[in-house]
Amino acid sequence: MLFFKKISVIIITIFVALLIIDRFYQSEVNEILIKDVVINAKENIRYLNFKQEINIDSPIRKAINNGIPLVFKVILKIVKINDILPNKTVSKEIRYYQIEYKALRKVYKIKDINGKKYEYKHIDEAIKKISTVEDFEFSIIDNHINHELWLNVSLERKKLPKPLQVNYFDRTWYMNSNKSIHKL
Amino acid sequence: MKIKLKYLITTAAFIGIALLILLAKAISNSDLISSDSFRILLGLNIFFICSLIGLIGVQIFQLLQSVKKEITGSRLTLRLVLSFALMGIVPVLIVYLVSVNFLTKSIESWFDVKVESALEGGLTLGQKTIDILMSDIELKGKSIAYSIGNAEVDQRNNILTDLRAKFGIQDAVIFDQDSLIIEVSSERNNLIPPIPNIEDLERGSRDFFGKIEETNGEQIFLKAFIPIISKNVMSKKLILQLTQPIPPSIANLALSVESVYDEYQQLTYSRNSLKIIYILTLTLVLLLALLSSVAASFVISRKFSSPLAMLADATREISKGNYKKIISEQGKDELGILIKSFNSMTSQLEQATKNSEKDRERLELARTFLETILAHLTTGVIVIDEKKIIRLNNVSASKMLQNKESKMNNKLMSAVISDNKGFEPLYEFISTYIVDNKENKKEVSQEFKLYKDNRERTIMLQITPLNDKKNKTYVLVIDDISEVTEAQRHSAWGEIARRLAHEIKNPLTPIQLSAERIQHKFGNKLNKEDAIILERSTNTIVNQVNSLKIMVNEFAEYARPPKIQKDQIRIDNLIDEVIELYEIDKIIDVKKDKNIPIIYADQNKIRQVIINLIENSKDALKDSKKPKIRIFIKKKVNEVELILEDNGIGISDEIIGRIFEPYVTSKKTGTGLGLAIVHKIIEEHNGDIKIERIRNSGTRVIIKLKSGRR
Repeated sequence: MLFFKKISVIIITIFVALLIIDRFYQSEVNEILIKDVVINAKENIRYLNFKQEINIDSPIRKAINNGIPLVFKVILKIVKINDILPNKTVSKEIRYYQIEYKALRKVYKIKDINGKKYEYKHIDEAIKKISTVEDFEFSIIDNHINHELWLNVSLERKKLPKPLQVNYFDRTWYMNSNKSIHKL
Repeated sequence: MKIKLKYLITTAAFIGIALLILLAKAISNSDLISSDSFRILLGLNIFFICSLIGLIGVQIFQLLQSVKKEITGSRLTLRLVLSFALMGIVPVLIVYLVSVNFLTKSIESWFDVKVESALEGGLTLGQKTIDILMSDIELKGKSIAYSIGNAEVDQRNNILTDLRAKFGIQDAVIFDQDSLIIEVSSERNNLIPPIPNIEDLERGSRDFFGKIEETNGEQIFLKAFIPIISKNVMSKKLILQLTQPIPPSIANLALSVESVYDEYQQLTYSRNSLKIIYILTLTLVLLLALLSSVAASFVISRKFSSPLAMLADATREISKGNYKKIISEQGKDELGILIKSFNSMTSQLEQATKNSEKDRERLELARTFLETILAHLTTGVIVIDEKKIIRLNNVSASKMLQNKESKMNNKLMSAVISDNKGFEPLYEFISTYIVDNKENKKEVSQEFKLYKDNRERTIMLQITPLNDKKNKTYVLVIDDISEVTEAQRHSAWGEIARRLAHEIKNPLTPIQLSAERIQHKFGNKLNKEDAIILERSTNTIVNQVNSLKIMVNEFAEYARPPKIQKDQIRIDNLIDEVIELYEIDKIIDVKKDKNIPIIYADQNKIRQVIINLIENSKDALKDSKKPKIRIFIKKKVNEVELILEDNGIGISDEIIGRIFEPYVTSKKTGTGLGLAIVHKIIEEHNGDIKIERIRNSGTRVIIKLKSGRR
């Protein structure tokens, strides 16, 4: 019994250590900065437009040029803020946009959140294009007092090739934005 | 505890192996397991490794503690663990290093330069083909655009249709700058062309712009945008869009080359990650294998060392005399046989020890019995060897030879005798016997008259040789028979005295009466001279008869049967009373302790003793210039001591040993029965009397009488 007590203490210590290490790694991510958020209204439909500063450095550019597609995930949440009870997510929308190099045609292919495709000869043009998200359509209820829009953009690591996915030591592919909150 | 550890390690090993298989599968087939699953697997593996490290750490700590506390078997366990661990670590490390090297080189070999060149060549070929097709459509498009630009508005559709058909273009659409369709011509009927991107139109309005588009991933098209320069400067700017499918055979090949090229490029880019993951997996395998083997080495080492530790413990217990320690039998191997033999040996030892203990107890009992007998014997018993070293003696022998109960063991007989003057003849006899009777094992006995403490002692010595094969030993039985002989002498004297008193006393009175009658009858009838002679003779007879009567009375007193009438008396008062009779002499000095206890004695007899002794002293002081008699009455434990000293002529050495015997006296007159009677009275009171010479001159008599009311 004493032995198991000792062992359980060791196991808990190791587990906590692993959690701390994991948190430490999670904290070291390439940040995506969301800015210039504009919400246009047309009746109950809202159109979200915003810009991003994505730190696409040399290794990522090299990866794109090697045909590795980068898929970004945009999560949009409409959250009802509650002072006492926990906040309630009223609706949640997930969209993807991506950049991919097509070696045959030597173009950078962009697919935006609405599925529209664009092709650019130069990577900078393509990056500029993906830095702007336009016409993210979402609906809201009539009475939306105390509602907030929470926005988060991250690189979808699951869409990367498996070797890059499981290489947890390479922090290049941890790209995430902070939660961007906007009053509705 | 050990069983639990064993199960724990086995479980950990199985889980670890399962996790490693999953991990390997995850790496070999990326579609099978998602990155999250892989992450969980990786985490679980690391967790198990950490758990094993913790477990081993605890085990090492416990083992080191055991070594520090010098627990039996811990050092052996440590040595075995180190050996097993080393045996596991070295080969596994070698395999690991070789595997890592092999793996790295294998991954690198995947990315062959020739393959890369071939793929690039294929891709370039595809690109060139598309470029040719694009150049072709550019030429055709420019020709159509030129024709339409120079044609009238109403002829545009015909010219577009004719030229499209002529050049074999699938679709031709004219847009204005606002993306409005102006004209359409297509192989396909009722075509409603999709509106192109504004950006594409803008680029197409400036110059030729071609691109490739895919439809549902099945077919690829060449799409060209060519500006139409109209002859009418005022008219709207138009853009011709041509759509031409690439032949499927070319398109499929090009797409497949692109796909493979992309995969190859992705793989090339990911090769470092691949290496890291494979090496990580291999490292996890190594660590799991290593740590499992180290953890298992603890179990195995304990399994090996525990029987030996138990054996060592049991041996230690047996050396302490605990034969109850039985080791539980373990297996049927050599260790099991050893333990079985050990248990058998222990039970045999226990039985033998019990028997030996019983024998020892019996011997001890016999020895104690013998010692008790010897200790209570008044006879002295001494065992000596050939060198006359005392090997054994009883208390009586010590008392006899040393006057104390100190041990004489391992002392030389000569040294003991030299401390006790008077026993030299005894030693000489023993020495002579040993020399003369080396081979002769005859038992001898001899009586000795020795002088000890100024008293004659009769000692009976018996020497018995013992039949000891190794050492020749002799048993000396020394018996002080002085008191027996003395008692015998006293008894003989008593008998003589009784007979003398009886035979002599009866005729004395008739003799005295006859003499007085003769005097009375014939005294007046004889002449004066004869009468004087008669009177003198009869007086002599009467005086001598009186003397004989006194002597006979003393004999009668000595010979009388012991008949005393005891009562509680105070001896100090009795002495005071007696010395009053001698007060005129003023030579007696009495000193007495306070609170002299009462004694239970015959007052008349004790008075007689005191008077006899004082009379003796007075006789001894006749020629003394400063006669002095000193009497001490001392209070002792349970007794009263009476000491009477004088500074008279004393008693010679010749007779002092026999002074209490009748007719032994240094006086010229007297019967010699005074001290004999004194001695007899004291003995009748169970007291003790001793007489000794005072160094310069004089005699000291010491009497000890029991105090108490009964």
